[in-house]
Amino acid sequence: MSFVPKTQPFSGKINAVTLGTGDKAIVIGGQNVLPFYTFDAPIENAPKIGVEISDAADTWTAPAIVDFYAGCTTMAERAKKAETMEGADFLCLHFESADPNGANRSVEDCVADAKAVADAVSMPIVIMGCKNIEKDGELFSKIAEALQGKNILALSARAEDYKTVGASVALAYGQKVGAETADDINLAKQLNIMLKGLSIAPENIVMNIGTAAVGYGYEYVASTLDRVRAAALAQSDADLQMPIMAPVSPDTWGVKESIASEEDEPTWGCAEVRAIDMEVSTAAADLVGGADAVILRHPAAVATIKQFINELV
Amino acid sequence: MALKGLDIFKMSPKKNCKECGSPTCMAFCMKVAQGAVSIDKCPYFSEEAKASLNEATAPAMKTVTFGKDLKLGGETVLFRHEKTLVSKTLFSVAVSTAMSAEEVDKKLADMAKIDYDRISERMYVETVFVSNTQNDPAVYAALVEKAAATGRSLILECWDVECAKAALAVCKADKPILNGATPSNWEEMNAVATEAGVVLGVWAENLSDLYDTVKNLEAKGNKNLVLDVTAETGKETLKNAVLVRRTAIKDGDRSFGYPSIVNLTRFAKGNAHLQTAYATMFVEKYGSIVVMENMAMAQALPLYGLRQNIFTDPQKPMKVEAKVYPINGADENSPCALTVDFALTYFLVSGELERSNEPVNLLITDASGMSVLTAWAAGKFSSSTIKKFFDENDIENKIKSRTLIIPGKVAVMKGEIQEKLPGWNVVVGPLEAVQLPKYLKDKEYEAAAAAAAAENAAKAASASSMEVKELSFDELLETKVPKIEVVDMGVHYKGHNPDSQTFVTIGERIHCIAPSVRKAMDERDPEPILKRAAEQIAAGATYLDVNIGPAEKDGPERMMWAVKLLQENFNNVPLALDTANKRAIEAGIKVYNRTNGKPIVNSADAGSRISNIDLAAANDAICIALCSADGIAKDNEERMKHCHNMLERGLRLGMEATDLWFDPLFLVVKGMQDKQMEVLEAIKMFADEGLKSTGGLSNNSNGAPKAVRPIMDSALVAMAMMQGLTSAIVNPNDLRLMETIKSCDIFKNHVLYSDSYLDL
Repeated sequence: MSFVPKTQPFSGKINAVTLGTGDKAIVIGGQNVLPFYTFDAPIENAPKIGVEISDAADTWTAPAIVDFYAGCTTMAERAKKAETMEGADFLCLHFESADPNGANRSVEDCVADAKAVADAVSMPIVIMGCKNIEKDGELFSKIAEALQGKNILALSARAEDYKTVGASVALAYGQKVGAETADDINLAKQLNIMLKGLSIAPENIVMNIGTAAVGYGYEYVASTLDRVRAAALAQSDADLQMPIMAPVSPDTWGVKESIASEEDEPTWGCAEVRAIDMEVSTAAADLVGGADAVILRHPAAVATIKQFINELV
Repeated sequence: MALKGLDIFKMSPKKNCKECGSPTCMAFCMKVAQGAVSIDKCPYFSEEAKASLNEATAPAMKTVTFGKDLKLGGETVLFRHEKTLVSKTLFSVAVSTAMSAEEVDKKLADMAKIDYDRISERMYVETVFVSNTQNDPAVYAALVEKAAATGRSLILECWDVECAKAALAVCKADKPILNGATPSNWEEMNAVATEAGVVLGVWAENLSDLYDTVKNLEAKGNKNLVLDVTAETGKETLKNAVLVRRTAIKDGDRSFGYPSIVNLTRFAKGNAHLQTAYATMFVEKYGSIVVMENMAMAQALPLYGLRQNIFTDPQKPMKVEAKVYPINGADENSPCALTVDFALTYFLVSGELERSNEPVNLLITDASGMSVLTAWAAGKFSSSTIKKFFDENDIENKIKSRTLIIPGKVAVMKGEIQEKLPGWNVVVGPLEAVQLPKYLKDKEYEAAAAAAAAENAAKAASASSMEVKELSFDELLETKVPKIEVVDMGVHYKGHNPDSQTFVTIGERIHCIAPSVRKAMDERDPEPILKRAAEQIAAGATYLDVNIGPAEKDGPERMMWAVKLLQENFNNVPLALDTANKRAIEAGIKVYNRTNGKPIVNSADAGSRISNIDLAAANDAICIALCSADGIAKDNEERMKHCHNMLERGLRLGMEATDLWFDPLFLVVKGMQDKQMEVLEAIKMFADEGLKSTGGLSNNSNGAPKAVRPIMDSALVAMAMMQGLTSAIVNPNDLRLMETIKSCDIFKNHVLYSDSYLDL
C-alpha cells in the first residue's frame, strides 16, 4: 500500500481585509489553511510586505538604506522612493519622533507629513505610532481624519486606548484599525471582542499579537502565533480570525546583533549583513507562524522575503 | 504516541503482589514505560496485553542517534505549546567532490569559526554534509577524510555503493549518516549501512516512492533511518517535511516516523539571505538537519537564537548564567544592578540598561529561572542567595563600587541585604525595567546610595560590639515572642475532626504578599492578622495558612508568635505553616496545639524542597507535596513520578500515606488552558491510589476579572471534587466557592443533607 497524503483544510477561515484603494489596494488574509500549507488548500492571498519609513530615518546608517534613499529629505520623498522598492506592497509610516519622552514632534507636523505622503503615493498606508498611549491616540485620530477615503490602517489600538482609537479611526473616519497585544492569546481575543463591541466590523480589524526579534523570547511569539491560528482555523473562533500584521523591523533593528559595530564585535562581520539576516529570519519566522503581512526596513530584506513568499505560494 | 506508564497500568493485573520487586503495580508500570524493567518480570500480565503493549510502546517517531552524541527525532507533538519539542534542529555545511580543494578548505575553515556560547549552549555547526558527485571512490574517500578531520559529525550524501563503502572505510567509527538509499539502490545501500552499523538516509522523487522505499527497508529489519525530504523547490520541500511529520505524529503511521534532512543547497543555492529565510522555516517546520552552503556569523546569530527559543521546554523557564554582565563598558567602579536569572528578565533588563548608555554591572543571581517576585516568594531570591552569589563570584574584590541597585519589586529585602552585605549601599531601583534608562541617566541612585552609606555608618557606630548567638526555641519564646493577648473578635472556631471525610479548606488570606500582612508581621501587630483570621473562620475555613514570607532573619520567633496568636485567639484553629525557612516551621510546630488536627508543612516538592518531607515526618505533621521539581511537570507521567518519589520518601520515614497531601499544581487558564484537564486527571490518579490531595485552586483564574473568578473557581472545585480532591487552599471569603464546596460535600455523601446545610 502506497502513501496517500491526507489534506487538512479547515472550516474556519481568516478574514480578508482590504487596505488602500485603487490598483494598488491589497488584501491580506482569506485562507483556511496554516501558513504556506498550499498542499492542504490554495492560499487565497499571498502575505504582503510593508516598507517602514520613519520620521527618524535620518538616524539610519546602513549604507544600502542610505544609498536607496539618497537625495530624499522628506517623508513624502522617502515614501515615493519606497514605492519603487522591489517587493514592496504597502508603506508603513512610523512616527517615532512623536514620543513626548523623545523628540516630541507635534501632532500637526506628523499629520502634515502623512498628508504629504498620501498625496504623493498610491500604495496603501499603515500608520505606526510612538508607543505613548496618549500621543498615539491623538496622532491616529488626526491622521485618520486627514486621510479619509484612503483606507489606511492605524497600528494600533491597545487594551488601554481601544475605545478612543477604535471610535475615531474606524467608526468616525472609516479606516482600518490594528488590535495590539503582547504574546497573550486571551487578551488578543478579548481586545477583538471589545473592538467588535464598539460596532467595528471584523473585516476592519487587523491584529498584532506581539513581536520580538528571533533569539529574544521569540518562543512566546511563535507559540502565540501557533495558538491563534489553531483557534481561528480548527476551532473556528471568529474572534481570532483577523489577519495578523507583524512589525518586524522596529524590533530587529534594535538588538545587538543588528547594531553592534564591527569594532565592538570583530568576529561578527559586517553589521549591515547581520541586520539584514536578523530581519529576514524574524520575518520568515513570523510568516511561517501565521503573519499575513510583515513590515521591513532594508531593501535586501524586502527583496529576499518577497522571493521567499513568491516561491512558497 | 509512546505508551505511558499509566496506559500500561490500565492493562496491568493491579494485584500489588510485589512479586516483580516493585512495591505496587503502578510503580512497576512506570518503570516499564521508562524501559527500566522488562514487562516479563510480572508473572500475571496476560499474553494479549503484552502483545498489544509491544505494538503500542513503539513511539510514533524514532529517536535516531549518530556521530558525536547527536540526537534526532523522538518528537511527540507538532507544535511546541502542545508539550515540548525534544530534538533541536542541527545544522550542516555542504562540501562536495565537485568543489576545488581550496573551496572545500575555505568552507570548512569558515564553518569552524562559528563556535560560541549563548545562554549556556554551545552554538556551532554540528555536521558536515559531504556530497559525492564524481563516483570515484578514492576522490570521495579523500574528501570524507578531510571533512572528518574537522571533528564534526558527518552526513555522507552518496548514491553510489562503491563510493559509499570507500567513505565508510575511513569514517564509520565516527558513526556518520549514510544518506544514500533511493528507490533503485535501497537494497544494496541497506546492506552497506547495516554492515557498517550506521544510520541510513533515504531519498525519493516523491513521497509515495519514499514511503514504499521505507516500507521495503523496514521489511528488511532496518529502522535506523532518516528521510531526506528535499525536493526541487522550497514549496515542495515544505510539503514533504510537513506531510512526513504530520503523518507520523497525527496519523500515527510509523513508516514516516523518522527524522528529516532538508538540503537548502538544492533549491536556494547562491543566495545566503534566502537560505536564512528557509533555514528559519525548517527550524520551525520539522527539519531535523538543515544543510546550508555556508554558515556565516550573520546567519548563525538569528538562526541559533531562534532555535534556542523554539526548542526550549515551554514548561521550564529559560535561564541565563548567574554572573556579572558588564554593560556599556562597565568597569569595577561602575554601580551594580541586581536581578534574577529568568532569561526574559535578563533580556528586558539588559536591553534597558544598554539603552541608558550608562555603564552598569548587571549582577544575575541563580533564582532557578523564576521571575523576581515569584523567586522572592519561593525563597530563591533572598538575602542569603544574594550573599551566596557575592561570595561565589568574589564580587567584594572584583568590584570597587559599593552601590547595589535592587529591583523595586523587592524593596522589602533592602534591610536584609544591607545586613548580609555590610559595606554595600543598597538602593531600591524602579519597579519596571522600562524606567531604568531614565533612572540611570538622572543618577537617582547616587543620592540614595549616599543616604544608605550614611545610614550604614550610623549603624556601625552604634552597633559597636553586639554579639549574635543563635537562641534555642525556648529562649526565643521567652525573650523574642510578645505575649499574646486574647481579643474577643466575636468569632469562634467550631472545631475540626481530622477523621472526617469532608473537604478541607485552607484559608489563604494570611499571606505576606499582602502588604498589610507583611507590615503586621514585621511589627508583630496582632490586629490586621486577627481580623483576616476571624473573617476566614467565620466563613467556614477548616485550616488557616500562615505565610510569614521568606523570613530569613527572624523566622522562628515570627512563626511562634503567629501560631500562638491565632491558636490562642481562635480555639486552637489548625494551621498550615508556610515559609521557605525550615527552622521557622520547626519553631511553629513546637508551640502548636494539635486539638483540631496536625500542623501542615506548606510545602515540599520533589526538587530542592524535598527535605521538608523529612521535617514533617520528624514532627508528625501533614505535608503538602507539590508534584513538581524544577518547574511545572510536563505531563501526568512526570507528576506521578514526583508523587511516588515523595510518597516513598515519606513512607520510609514512617509517615502515614494520608499525611502527604499531593498538590498537582493548579495552572492558570489564561496561558495554560489546554493543560486543565490533565491536572484534573492527576487528581483522579491520586484518589485512585487512596492518596489525599490539595492545591492552590484559585490559581486557575489568575488574571481573570474579579466578577468571573468565583465562578471559575467554583466550577473547577466541583470538577476537582468529582475527581477526588480532598482539600484546597482557597479564599474562604469567596461565598460562591464555599457554597459550592458544601454542596459537593452533600453529593459526595460526606455530610447528611438538611435544608439549611449551607448555614452549617
